[in-house]
Amino acid sequence: MKRTLFLALLSAGLLSLNAQAVAAEGGAKLTDAQIKAIIDAQPMPTGKMLADNCSACHGTLGAEFNEAMPPLAGMKKENFIKLMKDYRANAFPTIVMHDVAYVFTDAEIEAMADYFAAQKAEEWTRPDFKGAHE
Amino acid sequence: MSQITRRDLIKIFGASAVATSGLLGASKEAYAKSSAHIVIVGGGIGGASFAKYMRLANADVKITMIEPHPQYTFCPGSNEILSGHETLENLTVNYNTLKSRFNVDVIQDVATEINYEGHQVNTLHNGKISYDKLVVSPGPDFDFHFVDGYSAELAEGDFPHAWKAGPQTAKLKQQIDSMPQGGVLLISSPRMPYRCPPAPYERASFVANMLKETNPTAKILILDSKDNYVFQNHFEHYWKQNHQFGQEGSRIEWIPAKKGGVVTKLDATNKIVTTTSGEQIKADVINIIPEEKAGRFAIENGLALGSNWVPYEPKTFASKVHPDVYVIGDMVDAPMPKTGYVASNQAKVVAAAINDLLAGREPGTPFITNNCVAMAAEDYGMTITATFRYTGGIKDKGFSTQVRTSAITDNPYTNRIRAEVAKNWQRTFRKDMFS
Ligand SMILES: Cc1cc2nc3c(=O)[nH]c(=O)nc-3n(C[C@H](O)[C@H](O)[C@H](O)COP(=O)(O)OP(=O)(O)OC[C@H]3O[C@@H](n4cnc5c(N)ncnc54)[C@H](O)[C@@H]3O)c2cc1C
Repeated sequence: MKRTLFLALLSAGLLSLNAQAVAAEGGAKLTDAQIKAIIDAQPMPTGKMLADNCSACHGTLGAEFNEAMPPLAGMKKENFIKLMKDYRANAFPTIVMHDVAYVFTDAEIEAMADYFAAQKAEEWTRPDFKGAHE
Repeated sequence: MSQITRRDLIKIFGASAVATSGLLGASKEAYAKSSAHIVIVGGGIGGASFAKYMRLANADVKITMIEPHPQYTFCPGSNEILSGHETLENLTVNYNTLKSRFNVDVIQDVATEINYEGHQVNTLHNGKISYDKLVVSPGPDFDFHFVDGYSAELAEGDFPHAWKAGPQTAKLKQQIDSMPQGGVLLISSPRMPYRCPPAPYERASFVANMLKETNPTAKILILDSKDNYVFQNHFEHYWKQNHQFGQEGSRIEWIPAKKGGVVTKLDATNKIVTTTSGEQIKADVINIIPEEKAGRFAIENGLALGSNWVPYEPKTFASKVHPDVYVIGDMVDAPMPKTGYVASNQAKVVAAAINDLLAGREPGTPFITNNCVAMAAEDYGMTITATFRYTGGIKDKGFSTQVRTSAITDNPYTNRIRAEVAKNWQRTFRKDMFS
């Protein structure tokens, strides 16, 4: 959708929800078309921006190797993509991942797959870690 | 090739000088430094997440954190202390790893005042600290004036709110443990917004489960300043199955605002609260969870622009007051629940934005989730997944919301695994910032 149309939608109040209530109660839902308009109106978030949202459960850089959660660091790109798309389609029962994955576009899933595939498959915290250089 | 690139300029003058010149004119201090100095106010969930993720993104910036306490105690998990499933020690971390591995200069002090134009933040004991970018995450302050007769002093004394994990949590546990047989615990749950919306009900649940064993005739009375709450279906389902909720003799009773649940007054001497309906209720233990507003540091420095919560530029969480000051965590007026999960993801947005700006790039599109897990018991969890997308608009404070919550099931394995996911989250989350 064009940005102008999107802004028109906004000013027409179509997207005006009481977001605080929605956030707390899971109230009124946006339509698929509204979501698509929002996604299309902005550049895609980077793979890192998307993937760093996973760290609270899967560890920093996806590198938590404990009994409860599968690590994402070093995961093969194709495997990540296939799994996320299966979750998104609710292809099999999961505890929570189908409710996590349904929001992502194909391109976003691929960007996250690239990010995790590039991480060292080694338990965080890594003593050698120094931080990235610009 | 003798063309001077932006990269070369960064090498010569320091990233901050290049990034900010032309915008506001960088401070003199910034030009003199070899790398940008980023100062953080508050070493809680927002501040610590920011420090670590800033360092992950950039090995060269100088990071200083101002935090008055030598340790941080996590609130997530602290309700389980009340039922004996968790300890304060296990939820308490120190700043050693942030200092040593992530090269963060942690100054044990209280930040007092921002000199916006001078790019300096004042402290109680360490004087003025110059910054190129300031990140503010002091959390909320409690607002006691909604309940006549309640105060910060009473909260530190015999009426702990325990809405900041620490000594008050231990005190509340000790009070509940020494209730007489058949005693009453009264919990007053505040209006929105407050930190961790499901936590008052989680608290009631964990305590009820314990009382069922230790003091089976005791009661929990929840007086609510709201008419409904997140995960209400899950909590009521669990309470019906385990505490006769809604029946004669229920261990838990819940009074919504519309039925007189709002507490207006505390008579501390006689342990009596008064509600909007004029009713007076006596209880053995009174746990009033106070209303909240942005932390004092934010209010006093004008970051809330005269309101109770802090507005922000949605793309970067820059403050409305000055573009080099960023605001995150419970204190911001975002269309997101006030959770640690959200605070840490806002921190990552700011780290990415600052890193982009220092490198002369336009900040990317933010993306924030709140994929939270709550518990009614060690074997009963529930999940909420919320996604906040940046809209570029001004409605709904710049973000759209998509939410799903887990369905009720009587499959005990599913309920149990959801609780395990919650416990895993607590552990991994603590590590994600402090190791
Ligand atoms: C009982 C309970 C259970 C919870 N459970 C969960 C949960 O399961 N999941 C979840 O995601 N969230 C949970 N939360 C919410 C979570 O704790 C908060 O949302 C989170 O701590 C917010 O982070 P913050 O950085 O804004 O504030 P805080 O984490 O409170 O950090 C603020 C820090 O700033 C410091 N500070 C304040 N003023 C100054 C100053 N002037 N100078 C320097 N430093 C200063 C303070 O000392 C503090 O360390 C829970 C909260 C409670 C009360």
